[in-house]
Amino acid sequence: MSNTVDPRRKEKINRYKAPKNQGQGGGANEDMMPDYMNILGMIFSMCGLMMKLKWCAWFALYCSCISFASSKASDDAKQVLSSFMLSVSAVVMSYLQNPAAMTPPWAS
Amino acid sequence: MRPVFAFLLLALICACQAQSDFEEGDNDNDFAEFDDEFVGSNYYTEPAAKNAESNSAGEGAGGDSGSRQEQVPPRKQPQVVDDDDDDGLVEEDDEFEHFQDEEEFEGYDGGDAKDPPIDEQAEPKLNIPNIPLHFRTHWDSYWMEMLMVAGLLAYFANFFAGKAKNARLAQLWFSTHKALLDENFALVGDDGKAENENPGLIKESESLYTLWCSGRTCCEGMLVELKMIKRQDLVSLVAGLMRPQLDQVHIKIELTRGLMDSFVFAVGTKKTITKVFKEYTDLSKFCSLVGKPEDRYNVPNGFAVLSEVPEATSAILETRIITALKKYQSYIDYLHISDQFSGPIQQEEGNTLKQLETKPVLLAGFNLPKHAEMETIKPLLLLIFYLMERLKTYRMSKEGKSKSDKNRQRVEEEFLKSTHAARAEAAAQRREDKRKQEKERILADEDPEKQRRWEAKEQKRQAKKNAPKMKRLAVKSL
Repeated sequence: MSNTVDPRRKEKINRYKAPKNQGQGGGANEDMMPDYMNILGMIFSMCGLMMKLKWCAWFALYCSCISFASSKASDDAKQVLSSFMLSVSAVVMSYLQNPAAMTPPWAS
Repeated sequence: MRPVFAFLLLALICACQAQSDFEEGDNDNDFAEFDDEFVGSNYYTEPAAKNAESNSAGEGAGGDSGSRQEQVPPRKQPQVVDDDDDDGLVEEDDEFEHFQDEEEFEGYDGGDAKDPPIDEQAEPKLNIPNIPLHFRTHWDSYWMEMLMVAGLLAYFANFFAGKAKNARLAQLWFSTHKALLDENFALVGDDGKAENENPGLIKESESLYTLWCSGRTCCEGMLVELKMIKRQDLVSLVAGLMRPQLDQVHIKIELTRGLMDSFVFAVGTKKTITKVFKEYTDLSKFCSLVGKPEDRYNVPNGFAVLSEVPEATSAILETRIITALKKYQSYIDYLHISDQFSGPIQQEEGNTLKQLETKPVLLAGFNLPKHAEMETIKPLLLLIFYLMERLKTYRMSKEGKSKSDKNRQRVEEEFLKSTHAARAEAAAQRREDKRKQEKERILADEDPEKQRRWEAKEQKRQAKKNAPKMKRLAVKSL
């Protein structure tokens, strides 16, 4: 170990460039969780709204929460927000249409 | 289901009420019509029989109210009428006469029952109020919703707690290593903006922090990634119970070109090595898995080695490195040195006609200690700097060099072969495009003589293109 010589070189400074692919070396390590959850949340919201399935609407809310929690700082916040709004509206709409308590999918 | 059931129950009760009212009215009418010399007696036979049955059942149960028993005689009469037995009728009347006696029962007001108000003789009006369904349900029936809301609250509570813990761990790592990094790099922490606003860790997500260091001999830059357990996500935490994960730090050093001799090498835990062997282009193309690395290179048990040039591998895995590997076995995930690093294997191989750009790198992955004792892994960063210096000074022998050159040539040939068809197609496409452009240019020209000349030339070319084929065929047939 050559600790005697100062290894620092000011002239060799390279500025940070954000990699195109996130993660160490590329797409293989990229975390796809937020995207999957976003899509899943959207599907569940649609099911909740169209088929009036309350548990679907709740699941959509959970999916958008997971998507929010694991989203990257560089990601578009609008996408997460819209997924959130969609799932919340699915829950609200389903209870406005039928204020009765939810029946779990296995009970119906 | 519950509200529906409640509604059905309500409807059933209403229906029963309506039926009993209707029957009462009937009985009164029965009695009146009986007086009219049995006119329509057949018509009332059935309800009367029913009443008789229910009456007998009521008697069996016992303890019936007096008002009910009072209605017995008129109910039974139509049955008797059917039998055409007048004597029986008179006797039964006598038998139940004591019911008519007001003094028979004390404290009982028989007058009301005897003479029902005239209004009630008409068909009673049923008023079913329009009760909204949710007024019938209790808060208890919303247990699923409560569970869901509680789950959401728990999720968010965990989100803030996990986020804070990850941030604390990352800061702890940074503060522990900052002095060492400052000694080695002219620039520590860069956010990539024109003016470095916050030198330090960059938060990529709640569980991923990066740090860029640059300005050192031997390398262009070093990217440190702190990959934490996703503590902010409750679902991942639960999944982690089944497949335990660790906080990890991934270091990627871009080496200066020409610093190291050309070879590819990796050492690490068996699990990680088998994974990266399949994933990374350079490892899968140049390296082979070394059998029994414990005996050959004296690496600790549970470690695997990927090697291209055995000579370089043994030079890297020298005593000091082996000692470090043994000492920090639980913290070291992998070490990967390559002059041909081009990232993970691309899925859409066919689309790339150019070979991927390669660069010399030194990659390392370490596990963070479980109880946040960051000092214990500080020597691992020193190991990285030592490896860098070692790569700078190490030179392979002639045989080793020729072997690695041969390997690189082989890989390039393989690549060219695999893309030959695609490249030929691309060249044909280019030629065709060129011809089309020329044709358009000629057609746009207003000189007919030029056009004719071009057409003649084109025809000739087409004929020439087809001619040799036929000629060859003729020769073959001879």
